[in-house]
Amino acid sequence: MMHATAPIRKPSPGFGLGLRPVHYPDFLREPQAVDWLEIISDNYLVPGGKPLAMLDAVLEHYPVAMHGVSLSIGSTDGLDRQYLADLKKLAQRAQPLWISDHLCWTGVAGRNAHDLLPLPYSEEALRLVVRHVGEVQDTLGQRILLENVSSYLEYRSSDMSEWEFLRRVTEEADCLLLLDVNNIYVSSINHGFDASAFLRHLPAHRVQQIHLAGHSDHGDYIVDTHDHPVAEPVWALYREACLLFGEVATMIERDDHIPELAELIAELDRARAISAEVLESCEAAA
Amino acid sequence: MSAPTLATLQTAFHDHLLDRPSAIADDVAAGGRIDVAHRLHIYHHAYRARLLDNLRDAFEKTWAYLGDEAFDDAALAFIEANPPVHRNLRWHGAGFPHALAARFQQDPDIAELAMIDWQLRHAFDGPDAVPLAPAALAELDATHWESVGFRFVPTLFLAPLHFNTLTIWHAIDQDQTPPPAARLPDAAWLLIWRKDWQPHFRTLDSVEHAALSQLHAGASFAQVCASLAEQRSEEEATALAAGYLGSWLQDGLIAGFSGLVAA
Repeated sequence: MMHATAPIRKPSPGFGLGLRPVHYPDFLREPQAVDWLEIISDNYLVPGGKPLAMLDAVLEHYPVAMHGVSLSIGSTDGLDRQYLADLKKLAQRAQPLWISDHLCWTGVAGRNAHDLLPLPYSEEALRLVVRHVGEVQDTLGQRILLENVSSYLEYRSSDMSEWEFLRRVTEEADCLLLLDVNNIYVSSINHGFDASAFLRHLPAHRVQQIHLAGHSDHGDYIVDTHDHPVAEPVWALYREACLLFGEVATMIERDDHIPELAELIAELDRARAISAEVLESCEAAA
Repeated sequence: MSAPTLATLQTAFHDHLLDRPSAIADDVAAGGRIDVAHRLHIYHHAYRARLLDNLRDAFEKTWAYLGDEAFDDAALAFIEANPPVHRNLRWHGAGFPHALAARFQQDPDIAELAMIDWQLRHAFDGPDAVPLAPAALAELDATHWESVGFRFVPTLFLAPLHFNTLTIWHAIDQDQTPPPAARLPDAAWLLIWRKDWQPHFRTLDSVEHAALSQLHAGASFAQVCASLAEQRSEEEATALAAGYLGSWLQDGLIAGFSGLVAA
């Protein structure tokens, strides 16, 4: 069957930040130089009170993307129907730009590790994730974004590379990609692969969003901690991503040692500048 | 060696996180600058660190009261004995006050303080309700007063207090040295609820607690007045009940009427 060539990804809403409670007053006091905000969905899956009231107030001024941490798309336990129903209810309230979670598993046998645990890059894991993404997308009525996680180990049972796994999941499940450039860098150091090659092998037309964040360098390995500014090698990799994927919604995550909002906006301005510079050079070359 | 199924691999990985016997190391690729044991240790450590951070955050006053070492020992023991089962990490600490009661049997004030921490957190994002405006009482006529009862906001929580934990809570809140724990001379009750976006708490004496509990359980205001009149004159009882009702309305504890027969 022939398909119309409508783009799979939505136009970029620009440059965003993760909404954190400490910055609620800043966002509600006056307009900030931020095009959109990303919420941690799980923090708003509560009965009521301040979190939901703040979300409603923020929604009056900013488009919001929903980013979850508990979908556990790769768990052999299967999907949690109640969690999906709660997510759908929140989406009806927030009318998000899109809904994302991680390409990982967070627990098994009814227990939850509350960590983004890596999957083996195997046919079995691929089939499981593709089936689960289909169920999630049918429930939510939209394509979801899956994010590449940082990892500290690789399995002997993997029979393809991480980028091949990502490419096949997004294509076979017909979902989108939330590319965490910091996670690619962290994993490339921890596992010794070529981060640029990783980028080059991804399906560009499915890259809907980019995450930038800081990490902690332990010398022999790097941990994805979101408690530092974005590191120089990650900015360099971001520049490569801009070159490959064009204009992509980009945001910065900070979850610990959260600075004043102005500091994060200044960091976001650097992302804007890199993206603009790359796009200009591409236009000049065209 | 054949590859394990995904279910086997995930169970083995999770068992490793939980410090149970696990063969996960057999399926982790060797090579790179750190060895397999170190790679597995990063996840083992991160699991506990994240859960510990969550308990410190949810039990902030208890953490300050016990100090880092005693709190972390108790929290880590709780984490080992209670692997999270909820999808949302927010619920993991529900059993922690109970675990502290068992761990510190000679110092029940610790569990009582933890209960306050937990219930304040619970009220923070509990269900919303619009409080009844005090002026709404003017809508009631004499017939209404014979049957009217009151619905309370859904975040209302009541529990007996045995120690001076509220004084301890306030001292910690103001970065002062808390007083020694002391058993209260008279029975008191803790009342927690949320007003606007802020959790509130205060103590109730046994008379106010009985009246509030009775009303909360569905009794009419007239029945509450009658109960109060068992120990005092009808006039005193009515004045006392009216005073309570006025303060509950002012505090935003009441969400609506009940027991009114439609006209």
